[in-house]
Amino acid sequence: MAWGEDHELVARVVSVQDTRAFGELIRRHQSHVRNFLRKLSGDMSAADDLAQDCFMRAWDKLHTYSGRGSFIGWLLKIAYTTFLQSKRKSKRYAEILEQVGHASEAESRTHTMQADETGDLDKFLAVLSEEERAVMVMSYACGLSHREISEATAMPVGSVKSVIFRGKEKIRTSFDIKDHQHG
Amino acid sequence: MTSKIINMAERIKDAEDRVLESMFDAAPIADNGFSGQIVKRIRRKLWIRRVTLPLAVLLGLLVAFRPMAAVVKGVYDLLLSMPGDLVPSLAGTLPSLQIIVTGALILVVAMFSLSMLED
Repeated sequence: MAWGEDHELVARVVSVQDTRAFGELIRRHQSHVRNFLRKLSGDMSAADDLAQDCFMRAWDKLHTYSGRGSFIGWLLKIAYTTFLQSKRKSKRYAEILEQVGHASEAESRTHTMQADETGDLDKFLAVLSEEERAVMVMSYACGLSHREISEATAMPVGSVKSVIFRGKEKIRTSFDIKDHQHG
Repeated sequence: MTSKIINMAERIKDAEDRVLESMFDAAPIADNGFSGQIVKRIRRKLWIRRVTLPLAVLLGLLVAFRPMAAVVKGVYDLLLSMPGDLVPSLAGTLPSLQIIVTGALILVVAMFSLSMLED
């Protein structure tokens, strides 16, 4: 079956709860969402779990998508919120474990979250704050415009620009980017 | 006009931007059943939602049947025991208790069938 544009699929899902159309939307955008969450969390399996939660939420909230911005921008907004909420939850969990004297367990969880291959990009991302990481990934990995990032992160466009500027500055001072250009 | 200028400014990328783009560029992640898993979860969720309401109604009806029948019977007996000059034609017009209860049940089932068909 030939599927149309994203907004046509969204309309089908909202009007007749077409799960096949939603499946097609997932197939189209799962790579971006999973990549975004992998880069943000640094843990592949945790990121994939978060991506599943993100798409489940997207299903519930699809009627709120107005069709003004790009669909991937809207999805990444949900992905970012899902990530922040899960982080808050795991932080609370770590605090509770610490309170009851299971600090080592809490620590091991944090280590698992950070465990994965550390390539060049991971080193770049490590110098950035969480907010800068999210904005930089949205901009350079997902190709979102400043306006779309602003909508996804609920930040004014000016702040998005300054976060990108700050992120680039940090990467520039920590690494020689031009070296990477030539291998 | 202003937004066009902003978009143009965004599109002008320097060498550093291009390097960053290539650094952030990752190979697309293969679906490998990821979307199928989510669709399955959604279908299960929808199915549970569809089944839960009629099941709850059925259970509610089963639980409420005896007290409801008692109430209907009480009202029915009360109406029948009223003096004839107060409700002169009542005795002849009231249907039997079984007909009232069966009618109510048919009405409830029909309403739920309609709402399910609408879904």
